[in-house]
Amino acid sequence: MSKRTSGVPRRTFLKTAGSALAAGAVAAPYVIPSGVLAAAGRTGANERLTFGHIGVGGMGGYHLGDMVSRLRRGEVNIAAVCDIDDKRLANASRTAGPQADVYRDYRDVLDRKDIDAVVIATPDHWHAVQTVHAAERGKHVYVEKPACCTVEEGKAMITAANKAQIAVQVGSQGRSQPEAYLAHRYLVNGNLGKVSQVDCFHYPSPVGGFAPDSDPQAELDWDAWLGPLRWRPYNRGYCHGTFRWMMESGGGQIRDRGAHVMSCAMWWMNADGTGPVEVEATGEAPQRGLWDSAVKISVKYTFKNPDWVLTWNQPGEPAPPEERTGQEPGGRITRPGYGAVYRGDQGTFTHWGGDGGTWAERKAREWQPGAGAKEVYQSPGHKEDWFEGIKTGKKTIMNVEAGADVAILTVLGNLSFLLGRKLRWDHSKREIVGDEQARRLMGRPQRYPYTL
Amino acid sequence: MEELTLDLLLKNIQSTEDPVRANARDSAGAVGAKAVGPLARIAAGGELEIARAAQRAIQNIVYHAGRPGAEDEAKAVAVELLKLLGDSQPLQLRRDVLWMTWQIAGEEAVAPVAALLDHAELGEDARMALERLPGDQATAALQAALAKAGDAAKPALAHSLRVRGVETPGVPDLRLKPTKKTSVQPVGR
Repeated sequence: MSKRTSGVPRRTFLKTAGSALAAGAVAAPYVIPSGVLAAAGRTGANERLTFGHIGVGGMGGYHLGDMVSRLRRGEVNIAAVCDIDDKRLANASRTAGPQADVYRDYRDVLDRKDIDAVVIATPDHWHAVQTVHAAERGKHVYVEKPACCTVEEGKAMITAANKAQIAVQVGSQGRSQPEAYLAHRYLVNGNLGKVSQVDCFHYPSPVGGFAPDSDPQAELDWDAWLGPLRWRPYNRGYCHGTFRWMMESGGGQIRDRGAHVMSCAMWWMNADGTGPVEVEATGEAPQRGLWDSAVKISVKYTFKNPDWVLTWNQPGEPAPPEERTGQEPGGRITRPGYGAVYRGDQGTFTHWGGDGGTWAERKAREWQPGAGAKEVYQSPGHKEDWFEGIKTGKKTIMNVEAGADVAILTVLGNLSFLLGRKLRWDHSKREIVGDEQARRLMGRPQRYPYTL
Repeated sequence: MEELTLDLLLKNIQSTEDPVRANARDSAGAVGAKAVGPLARIAAGGELEIARAAQRAIQNIVYHAGRPGAEDEAKAVAVELLKLLGDSQPLQLRRDVLWMTWQIAGEEAVAPVAALLDHAELGEDARMALERLPGDQATAALQAALAKAGDAAKPALAHSLRVRGVETPGVPDLRLKPTKKTSVQPVGR
């Protein structure tokens, strides 16, 4: 805990910080809560937000570095970093600077009254629980994708976020890329006619995890890493990064990258707030190893009113990447192995990537809107869009409903694959219908106290 | 294609050839409840990859038997799973079986699962399974356990009851209470 701020009642802390401000002698470690100068309940438009980072390896390290660059520009404060791996935590402390307190337990971060918002970049099985807990503490949330591991988790996130009236941004940042805007604008203006099918493609999930279970390394709190998951012994093939290939956590490429590529599809098809009526998957599980996510998987999502079909094809047939100069808004295509083909009655359109790299086919980039063309929202950047949501209350581009619904698509795909049968879905209730076992599997019990 | 009998399943699941073993694992559902016990013996004692395949074959049987319209198959599988909760089985296998139990079993599972609530290593797995078993008996078992539980066990049991729509006033909610401390010191202070 911080010797400066943690454990200090908010009123006392604010008074102290305010006195220091008045004296013109604010020591660097003091963090000024953004709410001090803002209207009640909302951060002022020109005020610095104060952040805590929960999970600071992998993507969490990227987010911290990104936020540090904003800190150096005087745009934000970073008050805390948190990780259950002490090596990662020490590295994060070096990155964040001496003003940031260090924690193993994310609930210490949530207890900090001076923190406005948290960036959650933990393994996937933690996303929903930590988002719900952050909402219960009134913190705004940026949470990595996929938002949830079960339908039940997604619904709990929506309920908690709406009740607390916090701004949630799910890290499917493809929606905020410059060429995503161009693709969106191109599609909504009818350049393909009626789009009836979107076919996503992605290379297979890997096979691995051949080592036996063992003791965890000293710096790792394995109990905290597992968190909500049922207990299992540590395995070096199942931890940082590799959680992606375990069905109970990452769930494979369909979830990791599906949360990007299908996010673009839902956005561009104006399908946020809707869901399929049927989901049917086939695939192949790994033949050996601990990792159990489908190596290959094909999923068909059938939407009604309007009628269209979304498919996930792993591997499918990757579209050859187009030649580029590097001067395009998104630059060169560096990850051509995934993307989607949009099929309309007057043509097709391809994009590659869909995450931090989203590349639209030339015809969308070169299309010039004429008079009367429909305009679409252009994100100022995924974090900037979130900041705006925090400060103004506007809905973020990948808000909690959209983020949960895209994650639920990926969950349903995997569930249909595991069960070996078609699922029927009632999106108005966010429930599977007509299959008692599948309904039970919309959720799962969690280890206490790491529960929704 | 050769029909997958129990004998063939058990032979192929122990194959050292990955495709043969994987195919047996993925086809096990059709063999059904009678394969659960024999597969559990292989899962408990086989070479690592063979044990994994056997454990996952049992899971596939659970998924297959849980399909709509196969209620008798589901009951038969649940009965076989419950036979594996005894002390003679390895700990991890029992843990895996508890996890599958809530996915397929009915009220017949309540008593054997509840009997494990006080188990030092399986108690939490039993609580989780009980939380998701259908019917009033599971609720009653959780309430009974809460009534006699020590203070340390009460919050988790109360949580399970809350999930089932039963409020438990007076039991503390520890979900948001920090408990973990790091020895890492902030750099540069």
